[in-house]
Amino acid sequence: MRFFTPEWAETVRAAVDAGPPREDKLPEYWSWIDRARTAYTATWALGVRETGLYLVLAWKDGKCVDAAISGDPGSADYVLTAGFATWRELREGADPGQAVMYRRLRLERGNVLAFFRVIYFFVESLAALSRVPAEP
Amino acid sequence: MSKLSKVADSDLRGLGDLDIDDVLAYVHRDLKRLPDYTELYRRYLSQRWNVYDLDFSRDAVDWRERMSREERDAFVGISAGFHHGERQVEVELPVFMLGGSEESKIYMSSQIEDEARHTVFFDRFYREVVGLPGDSVQAVLDASFEHVSETFVGPFGLLAYQADELRKDPEEPAARVRYGTTYFLWIEGVLALTVMKITLTYCRERGFLPGYYTGFTATCRDEARHVQFGMRFLRDSVQEDPRLLLQIHETLRTLLAMNSATSRRLDLQSLGWTPEEVKRLMIRQLRMKLVDVGITLPPDIQDMVSGITPEIAGG
Ligand SMILES: [Fe+2]
Ligand SMILES: [Fe+2]
Repeated sequence: MRFFTPEWAETVRAAVDAGPPREDKLPEYWSWIDRARTAYTATWALGVRETGLYLVLAWKDGKCVDAAISGDPGSADYVLTAGFATWRELREGADPGQAVMYRRLRLERGNVLAFFRVIYFFVESLAALSRVPAEP
Repeated sequence: MSKLSKVADSDLRGLGDLDIDDVLAYVHRDLKRLPDYTELYRRYLSQRWNVYDLDFSRDAVDWRERMSREERDAFVGISAGFHHGERQVEVELPVFMLGGSEESKIYMSSQIEDEARHTVFFDRFYREVVGLPGDSVQAVLDASFEHVSETFVGPFGLLAYQADELRKDPEEPAARVRYGTTYFLWIEGVLALTVMKITLTYCRERGFLPGYYTGFTATCRDEARHVQFGMRFLRDSVQEDPRLLLQIHETLRTLLAMNSATSRRLDLQSLGWTPEEVKRLMIRQLRMKLVDVGITLPPDIQDMVSGITPEIAGG
């Protein structure tokens, strides 16, 4: 499966909807994420800087209901972009929390404070996304 | 010489003999008066210390031979946050210096230098005492990241994104106040002072890690200037435009919402701290700043403050 293709996007949708395996971390942490996710409705456009392509993920009432690849982030609430190198490092197992803390993904559009209110939900979604096997 | 003037005037050697509680009292003493930026800059010039004068040789022996495994794990678990924190507040600060008065900019140059020096302090501690490998500052940071808990990842990440927001217009008052709330009030005023109190009390009571004790006490004295700058900045901003108080509130809502997430347990009991004590310490650090600066909180945020979970202590 190739990175940033419609087939990959659909696999990613299912993976982020299911979330990453809940091992190694305290149950309280997953409760926090469940609370952040409950009724969560927003669209994320995650872009690759070099190609200008976006993975557009639509969340509705806590479910990831749609995924598409597009050259346009459309009306996404949050638009984030990262370079090839960051996406590759994430696929190779880099810590998604560190990627966020070091701002390896740039928030091009969207309210910073609202985005951080669900930040660990985003970090774990990034973890789930990165685990989907994909060739560059 | 009174205790507090001893804190103000000690050289690096003298700082190693001070009690951390006196240094924390020194941080708060001037909050009601709040010195101006030029006075803080003058103080910086006389209080500056050389991070390469610290000697970690006894620390390395304490670490290997006198501290238990549980103590080492807890110590790394809590200090790794500030290993990354010092780096974060160093590299995300220059954008704030681009705005504000000329006095503020001159003062800011000193804080950027302080934070760079604090980053070197932790780099030396992790290399020379903990023994982490790495041939660059980044490599040592990467090696300690696995110990950094959500307590720090969320606020430090928020600061990075707020800095990026500020970059678009460094003079924008609302963006400056949101940034300042995360940086000066929460990261420095609450998280840093809490970590200082916990680790330095442990070192002092056990007589361990004299190099760390001296350097982090000196860091804490630097923090007095940083917190006083920050509280002055927030107070003056709100006095100038009372609507900016809402920006402080919105930022605190996000910081406090993030504060209850924790993915792993950290046993601070082995350093002599119960989760309940850590919680009280954090709340106290926050309240002292808010009261002294005259920042009032609406009921929903007061509830969030009372609900602070000491996840710095792992639940
Ligand atoms: Fe610092
Ligand atoms: Fe500081």
